Amino acid sequence: MDDEGRLPFDDQSETEMRRVLSETEYDTDLGLEMARDAQRVVAGELSDAEFYARYHEDMLEEFGQDARELPELRDDLDGEVVSETSDATSVRESLAALADREDVSRRELLAKGGAAAAALSVFAGAGSGSGGEHGDTPTDGDGTRWGMVINLNNCDGCLACVSACSQEHGLSRGANWMYVFTYEDRNQDDENFLVRPCQHCTDSPCTKVCPVGARHTRDEDGLVLTDYDICIGCRYCEVSCPYGVNYFQWGEPDVPDAEIPNEHQLDDRGKWVGSRPPEGVMGKCTFCVDRQDGQMGEERVGTTACEEACAMDAIHFGDLNDEESAPNQHLHEYRGEQENDRSSFPDRTEHTVSTFNLLEERGTSPNVHYIGNEPSPHAEQVEGPVSYEDVGLVDDRSEVLDDGAAANEEGEEA
Amino acid sequence: MSVDTTDVSRETLVRPIGTLSKQYLLALVAALGAIGVWVFFYLQQLQHGLIVTNLADWGSGGGVPWGLYIGAFIWWVGIAHGGIILSAAVRLLGMDRYQPVARMAELLTIAALTCAGVFILIHVGRPDRLVTSVLPAWPTRVQWSPLMWDVTVITAYFVLTATYLALTIRYDIHRLRDRLPDQLEPVYAVLMVGYSEREDAIVERMVWWIAFAIIIMAPLLLHGGVIPWLFALLPSMAGWAGGVQGPSFLSIALTSAVSGIIIVAASFRRAYGWEELVPVEVFRGLAKWLGFFGLIFLWLQLQQVITGIFAAPTTLQHATEVKIATPVYWVAIGLVLAAMLYVFACSLRPSLFSIPVLVALSFGVLVGTLVEKVLFVVEGLQHAHFQLYDGVPGVYVPSPVELSALLGTVGIVVLFFLVVAKVIPVVELHAIEAAHEGGDDA
Ligand code: SF4
Ligand code: SF4
Repeated sequence: MDDEGRLPFDDQSETEMRRVLSETEYDTDLGLEMARDAQRVVAGELSDAEFYARYHEDMLEEFGQDARELPELRDDLDGEVVSETSDATSVRESLAALADREDVSRRELLAKGGAAAAALSVFAGAGSGSGGEHGDTPTDGDGTRWGMVINLNNCDGCLACVSACSQEHGLSRGANWMYVFTYEDRNQDDENFLVRPCQHCTDSPCTKVCPVGARHTRDEDGLVLTDYDICIGCRYCEVSCPYGVNYFQWGEPDVPDAEIPNEHQLDDRGKWVGSRPPEGVMGKCTFCVDRQDGQMGEERVGTTACEEACAMDAIHFGDLNDEESAPNQHLHEYRGEQENDRSSFPDRTEHTVSTFNLLEERGTSPNVHYIGNEPSPHAEQVEGPVSYEDVGLVDDRSEVLDDGAAANEEGEEA
Repeated sequence: MSVDTTDVSRETLVRPIGTLSKQYLLALVAALGAIGVWVFFYLQQLQHGLIVTNLADWGSGGGVPWGLYIGAFIWWVGIAHGGIILSAAVRLLGMDRYQPVARMAELLTIAALTCAGVFILIHVGRPDRLVTSVLPAWPTRVQWSPLMWDVTVITAYFVLTATYLALTIRYDIHRLRDRLPDQLEPVYAVLMVGYSEREDAIVERMVWWIAFAIIIMAPLLLHGGVIPWLFALLPSMAGWAGGVQGPSFLSIALTSAVSGIIIVAASFRRAYGWEELVPVEVFRGLAKWLGFFGLIFLWLQLQQVITGIFAAPTTLQHATEVKIATPVYWVAIGLVLAAMLYVFACSLRPSLFSIPVLVALSFGVLVGTLVEKVLFVVEGLQHAHFQLYDGVPGVYVPSPVELSALLGTVGIVVLFFLVVAKVIPVVELHAIEAAHEGGDDA
């Protein structure tokens, strides 16, 4: 992730901040320092608690009271900030909102927001849009948006997720909705892994091209699903997807319909979108739509089969729009855990954790975010520590399909 | 060079309708046989699903989800679109010389579009839903899905061509009625509903406008538009992107359509002794068009190869390198090149020209364009931007089931011409009339 979300702390804005701060009773340097850190809070690089702890003493010393006692601050403001802020301890939102407000006079801001807010007021109304995408977590707007943060550094290539997915959805052999690559890359000695579910893209080419609207994005939560009752099996979605995550049902499914309860197949709109597709229809990872709809119990909402199966804590599923969700929390925590000696290396960025979206340049806006290194164009898939055969899976589906109709009969017996 | 066919009698024109030769029956049996073979294989596909083809998932499966069926679909659509463009050009520009083959081109369009439709039908996993899923989705999906654009535009052109054909046929049937078989009276009665001679002038004008619309829309929408957009708009495959696909597809359509018309016209000429009705000058002219379109085809291939290998982004470069390393690609290029060189040689030395050679080269061109189209689809899918899958590219060789469909559709076209030739004159009456009653001199 980049830090484009951060407001530009350049010479010009610093000069302006110094001017603003000099008009106040605050210590200019302290104010500037706080403003900088406040920005990091907004960008999600510094936790609220750390920010608080860092300046509490200073504030008491200088003013006799800490003007950043935010509950108090909120009471004083006319309610708007409060309603936007669900969590009473979140300095982040309040500061972001304060910095953005045009209707609050600078004087008012100074009185209520403390030095940090004063300095940040330089950016007020600059259209910075400092929420979501621009921060360091993949939040974007309101409403649920299911997604994942997959920590490739934690993955050990055991394929437990692939097995679990295949089991839970009754997939035919070789239809690996979840797929794990082991690969070697230039300038990297060890094995690397790439865990690849459907990316549930926000700008998904597969939904755009579907002639009949079978492949669609569910409005309520952004899941990209296939309506098995409508799909004509043209495979245009598969051809348009840059990630190769679609698996067509070429023949009779291995698991017959009778073995799959209805509640795993029908979603909360009554559409048949869950579990494996019937013959002649397209299938792919559904982000366990049945779980998200509460069909497997309330406690399983916000979880997936692959996430549950992963003993290495690599897969984190949840609402990407919720700062507190598992994926966002993991991102915060993992960043916090990594050593980053900024006192010896002051030019370092706030954290050293590498994150990426797969094929970001394809313009699909994926909702799966990765921690770790992105495979380079020179990366080559190699045999993993655990092979697909070892765990009873088929890696290359063409082996199954080549048996043609014979595979059908086997499938029926299985 | 003007060719006078006005002395040819009306007897000659209706000759195919009255006669029944051994060759005809043989051709009929062959066509039905070809269709039978395909139906046999297709029933297997219906029973077991698309698993009986050699198609597979791309990605971890390493296969191609689109293969010969889609390649052949584009090829047939190309022949159809090229055919209607050429026929429209004849009417619009008053190229009277080609009048004897204009209707054959229109009939070829209808037959080829039917075959394209067959390929869509057998390509999809759920043919039973083609109507129930597509119709309700049309209003909301047509602005999004390139596949829906295709279905829409192709259907529109089918209707347009059929209308165009029906309108011009009425003129002929009215004037040739006494020479047409009485057993088919009910068919003619339907075709002639509400006809009066007063409509002829109006029809001439209408036909002109339809031809005008076809010529204008062909590059914008038809084979220079919606068909290449099926591929060129996708973010997934490196070999498919780019604005050159439009012109390239159009050039292939025109090249293969001229070849198709040459073959159909030469077959009728031979079978019914139509040396006067379809004189050699028509073939010389068609040959020049073939050479010209072939040149454009080759030029656009050159464009793609050079821009793809010189300093292209890695994935495109890789896709292009694979393309030019595929021997069968060069076979395709060679076949078109051979036809082009022959045509140019004949221009220099007219004595070299022979209709059988031209027909043979036209077959070659049709094979070449089909190969190019299938390779475009298949190799395009084998070289995605996302290169990490070890299984990619897998191998794809069309299965007997898929190949049989090619045979079956050729059978359908032959059968179509055999049947139509017994019902209506496949050459317009206009072609043998001294002065055209107004109209196509625009
Ligand atoms: S990863 Fe592919 S199938 Fe999944 S939403 Fe994106 S484009 Fe569609
Ligand atoms: S295969 Fe089904 S879901 Fe995919 S594009 Fe075709 S109709 Fe839509």
